[in-house]
This record gives sequence, C-alpha cells and structure tokens, in this order.
Amino acid sequence: MYRGREGQWAWLLHRLSGLAILAYLSIHIISIGSFIFGERVYMAIHEVYDHWLFRLGLIAIVAGVLYHSFNGLRVIVMDFTGHGIRYQRHLFWATIVITLIGTAYTAYMVIPRVLAGV
Amino acid sequence: MIRAKTYADAKEQSHTNAELNWWIFMRVSGVVLVFLILGHLWMTYVSVSEKDATFTAVTAKLADPVWKLYDWLILVLSLLHGANGARYSIEDYVRSRPNRFWVKIIFYAVMAALFIFGSIGLFTLTPSFNK
Repeated sequence: MYRGREGQWAWLLHRLSGLAILAYLSIHIISIGSFIFGERVYMAIHEVYDHWLFRLGLIAIVAGVLYHSFNGLRVIVMDFTGHGIRYQRHLFWATIVITLIGTAYTAYMVIPRVLAGV
Repeated sequence: MIRAKTYADAKEQSHTNAELNWWIFMRVSGVVLVFLILGHLWMTYVSVSEKDATFTAVTAKLADPVWKLYDWLILVLSLLHGANGARYSIEDYVRSRPNRFWVKIIFYAVMAALFIFGSIGLFTLTPSFNK
C-alpha cells in the first residue's frame, strides 16, 4: 500500500468505509423496520441499540459516511474535470480534514448526551 | 469492474453498456446520497439524541408522506449503490468462478430481501397506524 501513496490509501479507505456503511445499513433497516411488528418488538431492539457502546459506535459510522461522501465527490471531480487529477492529493487531505472536523463535532454533540444518559 | 480515471476511459474499458451505466449510476446516486444521508444523520443522530428514536417518534415521522419518500429514496439508492460497490469487491476477491456465482446470488438475495422488508415497512404504515 505504498505504490500510489495518497491515491492508494484513498481507494482502500473508500472501499473499507463503503463495506462498513453497507453492513451498518443492513442492520439499520432491520432494526428500524421492526416497527411493523409493533411497539414492543421495536422498543426491545431500540433498547439494545441504545447501549452507550453502540451510541459511540455511531460516531465511527458518521466518520465513515463523511469520508465516503467527500472522497466520492473527489473521485467525481477527478472523473469529470481535467484539473481534478492534478489536485487529487490536496483533495484527499481536504477530505481527511473535513472528516476529522465533522467527526469531532459529532463527538462533541453526542458524548455529553451519552454521559448524561439522555 | 471499470478502473477508469475519466469518463472517456470508462467508456473504452466497459465491455457492456450495463457496466458503463453502473459506473455512471455510482456517480449520480453518490451525489444525491451525500445530501440525503448527511441530512438524515444530522436530523436523526447529531442534532437530536439517539434516545429520541422511539416507536412513537419514528411512526409519527413516517406518517408524513414527504419523510416516507425521503427515507424510501435513501433505501433504494443506498442499497443499489452499496450492492454494486460490494459487487466490485466480490469480483476482486472471490477468485473462483463457481464460488463467485454463489456468493453473488446469496448476496443479491439478501439485498433484495432488505429492500422488500424496508419498502413494506414504509408503505404499509398509514397515519392511523399509531392509534
């Protein structure tokens, strides 16, 4: 994983974040969709999900979605403009910075609520 | 799978129209999903607590046809986008032909089941569901 430098890392992270998001999406559809079985089933699953560990895990999901979103836009810029490829390394680091800022903000919003149990 | 850096490359490399169409679909759906999903995460997780996603709150929200459509668009686009992305991974890492066939069949069946389950959930819900 050194040959393409930033480009190779960007590709690897894109694939891993994509697969992680798909895995999360699958259990998310099942857990939220469980409302069709009535309130008791839905709330039983919701209470498991509400464990602090899962609530913190969702911060990682936000990080994955932010990276996948902005790196995806980077890929599109590379595909459809001539300039994108010249700046692909800058765009990769911009993606990383946006992801870190967005994840830090999410943690700042979520962690106090988790600690307070609300 | 297409390993292209530009649209022209993609067109040249794709053996079938379907493959080229998927390449275009990934980009178009990706742009739409950026807004749909970041908005969804903001509205349901960052700005409010995960604890607020109670049965009452979820069914009340989904009684509104606008949210129903919003969530259904996420369901359709993200499952297609995700399934096609995972197909690229399967084609890269599952090397033997018979295995690849069965892995794909089972994987597509799971994706289809999730889509049907999610759609039934969204569209059988009526405003009177709560009462």
